[in-house]
Amino acid sequence: MLKFDVVVVGAGGAGMMAALSASEKNNLKVAVLSKIFPTRSHTGAAQGGINAAMGYRDSTDSPEKHFRDTVKGSDFLADQDAVEFFTSGMPDMISELDYYGVPFSRDEKGQVAQRPFGGASSPRTCYSADKTGHVILHALYEQCLKNHVQFLNEWFLLSLVVEDGKFEGLVAMDIRDGKIHPIQAKSVVIASGGFGRIYWSRTTNAINMTGDGTAACFEAGIPLKDPEFIQFHPTGLAQTGVLLSEACRGEGGYLINKDGERFMARYAPEKMELGPRDLVSRSIETEIKEGRGFGEGMTSYVLMDLRHLGEKKIMERLPQVRELALEFEGVDLIKEPVPIRPSCHYTMGGIHVSDYKTCSTPIEGIHAAGECCSVSIHGANRLGGNSVADVVFFGKYAGLGAKESAMRRSFGRTEKLEQEANAWKTKFKTIREKTTGVSMFSIRNRLAETMWNYVGIFRTESEMAQALATVDELIEEYKDAYAGDASVKYNMAFINYVEIGNILKLARAVAMGALNRRESRGSHSRGDYPTRNDEQFLKHTLIYKDGENYRLEYAPVTITNYQPEERKY
Amino acid sequence: MEMMTVKIKRFDGRNSYYQKYEVPYEKGKTILWLLTTIREEQDPTLNFTSACRHAICGSCAVQINGNAFLACNTPLDDVLETYKTMNLTFEPLKNFEVIKDLVIVWEPKMEKMTKVKPWIIPGEEGSKEIGFLQSEEDFQQIAAPTDCILCGVCASECNQLAVNQDGYLEPFILNKAYRYIVDTRDGAPEQHLKPVLENDLWKCLHCMQCVSQCPKTIPLTDQIAFLRSATMAMGELDNQGAKHAYAFHDDVKNKGRLNETMLPIKTDGLVQTALTKIPFALRMVKKGKINPLHMPKQISGIQEVRKLYEYAEEVKS
Repeated sequence: MLKFDVVVVGAGGAGMMAALSASEKNNLKVAVLSKIFPTRSHTGAAQGGINAAMGYRDSTDSPEKHFRDTVKGSDFLADQDAVEFFTSGMPDMISELDYYGVPFSRDEKGQVAQRPFGGASSPRTCYSADKTGHVILHALYEQCLKNHVQFLNEWFLLSLVVEDGKFEGLVAMDIRDGKIHPIQAKSVVIASGGFGRIYWSRTTNAINMTGDGTAACFEAGIPLKDPEFIQFHPTGLAQTGVLLSEACRGEGGYLINKDGERFMARYAPEKMELGPRDLVSRSIETEIKEGRGFGEGMTSYVLMDLRHLGEKKIMERLPQVRELALEFEGVDLIKEPVPIRPSCHYTMGGIHVSDYKTCSTPIEGIHAAGECCSVSIHGANRLGGNSVADVVFFGKYAGLGAKESAMRRSFGRTEKLEQEANAWKTKFKTIREKTTGVSMFSIRNRLAETMWNYVGIFRTESEMAQALATVDELIEEYKDAYAGDASVKYNMAFINYVEIGNILKLARAVAMGALNRRESRGSHSRGDYPTRNDEQFLKHTLIYKDGENYRLEYAPVTITNYQPEERKY
Repeated sequence: MEMMTVKIKRFDGRNSYYQKYEVPYEKGKTILWLLTTIREEQDPTLNFTSACRHAICGSCAVQINGNAFLACNTPLDDVLETYKTMNLTFEPLKNFEVIKDLVIVWEPKMEKMTKVKPWIIPGEEGSKEIGFLQSEEDFQQIAAPTDCILCGVCASECNQLAVNQDGYLEPFILNKAYRYIVDTRDGAPEQHLKPVLENDLWKCLHCMQCVSQCPKTIPLTDQIAFLRSATMAMGELDNQGAKHAYAFHDDVKNKGRLNETMLPIKTDGLVQTALTKIPFALRMVKKGKINPLHMPKQISGIQEVRKLYEYAEEVKS
């Protein structure tokens, strides 16, 4: 049986940081398991930047201000001890990344350049043009090559094996030869990314962001924290949902309705387009709802105008953005405004991390970092530039945590691992041999439509109840889902089948969390409960899965420095 | 309804064959849309890789009608227009090991990439605690090469690689070496450069296919020219490539034209030329392709040519 001290699941920013820190200066056997080749990971899609209070561009900036902005941005649902830990450690993290060769854009003094970003009281977003995540991902991969990190590429996590509340190992498939392996490990770091694909096509997320690690933890008994908080990025391209960076607004882009107005004046008179993402997304959807958008129904949009920035600035600071608009919307934003509409961008919720310093979960030996989990530093709404920061920072601490776990723990038993692997082998065989049933793609598409229409940017009781009922029906239909590929080797249809099972599980938790949170907070905006209700809901949602049943509990939020106040921009 | 005929090369690990699909044409779509539509509506067994669908993850490069493209950002209409056809043939990237259908393996390439130490060798002026200082201009030097998404298009297009997999480095590997050689934060550029020279740097055929197909328009061939100059600046002159370059340089400076008879001798030396090139040369003489007795005269505008050399020297300094 395969045996490692530490297994990292996912090879994006968090996973590779975790692997680097878990394997540094010791003899632990560490492996990174990823369903795709590491540099394909979604960290690479992060465009605008990474927040750290370096104070280069604005000497009055400080980790304290970053702390306060993050807490305010989270609509006070973030755990403040964790946020303080994060913001105070970020400046060092930037220097470390610089030392790893990350090509940061520079200011006139040769220091890492910083730009303004939504919801930030100082310009503190470090960047590399508009491909910040991409260059960080590649630099980390280079470091992994240098340090001989072992990768299991195109391996897919099927489940985590837990006995008596303790982690014993995992079951994974080597996609290339179709073999299903039990893997013994002392600790694991789940770093498998978010689950924005519950909205399938109306998301900025890569096609594979199906929350496999989150679903595996949920199945293994770890609750999901705050799954109802889904960030909709205001500036997705209208036709495809592909992301245009927040840097567009950071650099001074205007949002325009069909009357030619800069409508953000109505919603955030001071910050205007630089309001936080949840507010700007709702403002756009309100304009569309009230008839001031362009187009109709699912094809409605508003415009983002960058022309006044001039060709030089656009080419220097936003070259990728210009290419994207050209290729996917056929618009040259040097010459014309580009049609945009909000698109699901980020899942604030996820695996319940119970100790932020080690990123451990309630199950001994299981750690998690990045978008798959909730520490929580983003609370009800993440600030732009805080996600890449989150993955590298907590990736590092999760790696260190997993290293400590591995040094403290010994290998568990193998019986349950074998059983679990055998169960998956049987399942694989069954699905391969199945010749009829409900199209899995049809299930996936109906799930997305339901989630977008009823558990989207604006939410109400009756619509969400309807959504939950529909998701339940789809979960029933999934039992008869048909994948359509009988082969053993590289059977992506089977992988997609498991992924769709995962997004169904997670979507149900999103709908359940949203239905029960009878208030509006951050990204969770309810027509029937339009205000924040701290008395009843200043608390984290925790959803447990007991077999087929979901159980909802709440847990307190840690408040240290900042008492909740009205969130105005 | 207008139909497209799409032929896709399939491979199941043992056998390979072409499979035909008929797909209704739609305007304004991408190549990735076409592949996804076939997979989801006709044949779930078809395999290809894709992820971000906006040209940053590098997963989805494939060969279409003989050339490599990134599927997600290539407009279908452009391809149909370029090849003036409604028939498209898809194959996996060339110069890669294929695992299934259009899916290729990357690990051997990464193993190969480690030859050039594809990571920063930090200079002494930086540290993990405070990072580095780097000017805006110096950052601009590494801006284009760090656009590389490792999609493999350049390697698939490379004509030298097609005949020299073991000896030559993939253009994306050369790009990676270049990226650290010109990075002012790197303390040991020669450690990236030496392996580049030792791996047939001078064998680039100048066919320009890599640079014309690169989805990120990275100036790969300019980089190769830079790498060659850099090896010469490092004193690496005693090799075929450098000598060949000097033969061109000197001939044109002296006479304004190339002396093709002398070129192999200047490049390989008299003995090596006699051993390897004589039979070939004799065949060429026989066919009237070369005249060994013809010594090219100085061209009439030689002064202008030499001015160009002076100008080039000036620009360089």
